[in-house]
Amino acid sequence: MVDAARHPNIEILAYSEVTKVDGYIGNFRVEVMKKPRYVIEDRCNGCGECARVCPIEVPNSFEMDIAPRKAIDVPHDQAVPLVYAIDIDHCIRCYKCVEACGKLDAIDFSQEPEFVELDVGSIIVATGFETFDPAVIPEYGYGVYPNVITAMELERLSNSSGPTVGRVVRPSDGKTPKSIAMIQCVGSRDSRFMEYCSGFCCMYTIKNALLLHQTYPDMDITILYMDIRTPGKGYEEFYNRARAAGIRFIRGRPSQITEDPETHNLFVEVEDQELGEVIELEVEMVSLSTAAIPQADTERLSSVLALSRSPSGFYMEYHPKLRPVDSPSDGVFLAGAAQGPKDIPASVAQGSAAASRAARVLTSDTWEIEPIVAKVWPELCISAQGKKCGICAQACPYNAIIVEPGQPAQIIQAKCHGCGGCAAECPHDAITQDHFTDAQIVAQIRELLRENPEEKILVFMCHWCSYGGADSAGTSHFEYPSNSRGIRVMCSARMDQEFILEAFRRGAGMVLVSGCHPQDCHYITGQQVAAKRFSRVPRTLERLGINPERFRVEWISAAEGEKYARVITEMSEKLASFDKEELRAETERARPAIEKRLRRWMMTPHMAPFLKDEEEQEVEKEVMA
Amino acid sequence: MIRSDELDRSFVQEVMAEPGGEHLITCWSCGTCAATCLVRRFDPSFNPRLILHKAGLGLREEVLSSEEIWQCSACDLCYPRCPKQIHISEVMKAIRNIAIREGYEPPGPFPEVDEQICSGCAVCTRACPYEAIERVTKVVDGEERTVAQVTKTLCMKCGICVAACPSGAMNLESISDRELISRMGAGGWLEKPGYLQGGAEEPRILAFVCQWSIHSDREWEKIRGLESDQLRIVNLSCSGRVDPAMILMALTKGADGVLVVGCKEGECHYQRGTYLGRSKVALLEQMLEQLGIAKSRVRFAESGSLDRFLFPRLVREMVEEIKASVPVVA
Repeated sequence: MVDAARHPNIEILAYSEVTKVDGYIGNFRVEVMKKPRYVIEDRCNGCGECARVCPIEVPNSFEMDIAPRKAIDVPHDQAVPLVYAIDIDHCIRCYKCVEACGKLDAIDFSQEPEFVELDVGSIIVATGFETFDPAVIPEYGYGVYPNVITAMELERLSNSSGPTVGRVVRPSDGKTPKSIAMIQCVGSRDSRFMEYCSGFCCMYTIKNALLLHQTYPDMDITILYMDIRTPGKGYEEFYNRARAAGIRFIRGRPSQITEDPETHNLFVEVEDQELGEVIELEVEMVSLSTAAIPQADTERLSSVLALSRSPSGFYMEYHPKLRPVDSPSDGVFLAGAAQGPKDIPASVAQGSAAASRAARVLTSDTWEIEPIVAKVWPELCISAQGKKCGICAQACPYNAIIVEPGQPAQIIQAKCHGCGGCAAECPHDAITQDHFTDAQIVAQIRELLRENPEEKILVFMCHWCSYGGADSAGTSHFEYPSNSRGIRVMCSARMDQEFILEAFRRGAGMVLVSGCHPQDCHYITGQQVAAKRFSRVPRTLERLGINPERFRVEWISAAEGEKYARVITEMSEKLASFDKEELRAETERARPAIEKRLRRWMMTPHMAPFLKDEEEQEVEKEVMA
Repeated sequence: MIRSDELDRSFVQEVMAEPGGEHLITCWSCGTCAATCLVRRFDPSFNPRLILHKAGLGLREEVLSSEEIWQCSACDLCYPRCPKQIHISEVMKAIRNIAIREGYEPPGPFPEVDEQICSGCAVCTRACPYEAIERVTKVVDGEERTVAQVTKTLCMKCGICVAACPSGAMNLESISDRELISRMGAGGWLEKPGYLQGGAEEPRILAFVCQWSIHSDREWEKIRGLESDQLRIVNLSCSGRVDPAMILMALTKGADGVLVVGCKEGECHYQRGTYLGRSKVALLEQMLEQLGIAKSRVRFAESGSLDRFLFPRLVREMVEEIKASVPVVA
């Protein structure tokens, strides 16, 4: 940390918050709020005279609130930069610190939050994690029984620079416990709280146990675990060392902890799975190895930076295997536990990787992007006519669209990833997507439904999941009826309601729209935009006089070839159960109403020629002539 | 040794197809349920984790024929603690349903209905937490009558029906009225004069204690050790089994106070037992006033799974309260 602070190319803005990010890869403009320290950074020399005279003591969060700190303090002794800050919520404004500071005159109560703008080429998110609060598990009694503590608290107690100078003591009586039980997976691997394994707790618990064993050789140490997970290099050897040192390991998850109200000793009940018997351990102290959970402001920052989050709440990487440090937003990279619980070696590795990925951006003069991007027809955009709209900007998962009244919507192509959600959402059909234009898709619909459309199932599939699913059905030789016809688009968000109506106008027997599962979407929220739109389709169809059973929505991942085959088979069976004459009649009846709905879309200059049959075009040509 | 062909893979699907059995396969055998289970505290042969594990492995015959599957009383203490959120008592029910179809029956003894006395009033039917009692019309002594009938596959032997029956037609072997009264009075305890009658230095307490409300068999041992001339403990299958007539009998004899201890509301081993026990005591308290007996001489207390060493404190409190509030007559 000190090295970083001394580096000429590194500027540290501690005690600050990112409030706004504009721009795109290579050209970000970041707004940072520097919170008021009430101490002038350049003048403070970190002598600590102010803290010595401050009369107010508040809980010290660095010491897990088991020790006090002054209302003017540094976060911890090795803090970088070593500048004091005033906890203004607790300060009583006695101004003793001002006196103590004397000639340095570093204390300034008039400070306000300061906003700084930075121009940067790339961004690395390394916001870390928090630990789970075990007080919500009533059967473990954390917060009720004084001698039940968390592993982090034990960590501070056993640290030589901690509040007890390294002496491990019981909160109830200040004596060193003769026995301790360490409980694993508190809050993690638990469907009630965090489903995932936090990964590093086994190792730090074993470390704590060995440390305690070295300092207090007579202490009776028991680790209660469901599985010991030590997959890293040298980790298993460390585990073996703990076993050899005489640490007791019991496989079983404790059901409850009760306390003797007089001695404050704890009774831990656990079924030893190997024995199949319940063991009641009487111990003097219990340490809970709590889950690692996402930082509280993960959600706020994810909307500032357009990041997606995995179901566990941590930031989602672009691809779990191939791009593990990239975020879905180009130029933004992830490092450390912000992306998922991980231990120090893995965090350092990911940090180095993120730094080199970021350096690639900084050292490039040009940056290649995907050719599939959205484009606006300025003359059709109603925002240009001064009307309020902005639906496209709301649909964009990457904040790539700027809408200002009086101006046509503007797409930042370097930010656009080409999902096509805006093109489908635009109510005035003013946006199209290169390589997947409305006209191209309509032409595909027309050709696929040219012959016997009522016998066909038209399938819209997204490039990343459902198309892969259909592919996998083929390569795995799953059998399914041959009457389905697929149209590939980049994302389910691109599947415009007008495409579905056009398919029915052309007489399609059935229409299937398919995309990624909600958490798998390649375009962060594309699937959600699509799902919302599709939920309205059955009602629309009903109103138009088309049986809504002819329309189906399925989320099919690239691995679910079997599901794709099953869905097509089911739909095919259903289609066979319909009377073909009746289907044709239904289409004929609904055609005028559909055409009425599609009229404006069909009349847009880029669409008109593609919608009509060749025969119709011939007639038109004659008329025009 | 178990050979692989003894493992019936279809059994998992069979249990999971049964309502309630859906989550069987998600269990990873952490043992939280086994360490929580109250039944297991008194009968180590019962292990819910092992039953689920065996069912998951496909040991079909072993699971279906075991007596253990009938022992879970659906107190659901384990369910909220299960990290996989498996409703274990529901899985148990699913397994039982299969066992019933296969013709297996739970082991007895069950409450017996004395059909000659039973009036078919249905008080027991309403009291039973498991809907295990129905009324049937059958010929008794040449006369067609409506009487209660116990469904063995549903009965958990809590004894609530025995306490509820107004005509004494229900009987359960180990916890019959006769058995309880003899336990109350063993060694002439009830006949000795009480503190309020001026016959003892300290108030004499009779405690009806639900066997599940005390933490473990070891704690039971400790509590048994407290028994003296001043304290008599009668363990009940459930606090809902308590009979107000017995309380009154004790109060009119040598007991100065009667303490009824049940499980904490929501943790009751027989679902509704605590509620029933508490209601009975509350009703009795109102009656006591009319009878001219001080209300503080009867108390209902709850003891939860996390309450340890609570019982001695409850007794102490009661002794002090009686000393402070009830005047000595003689």
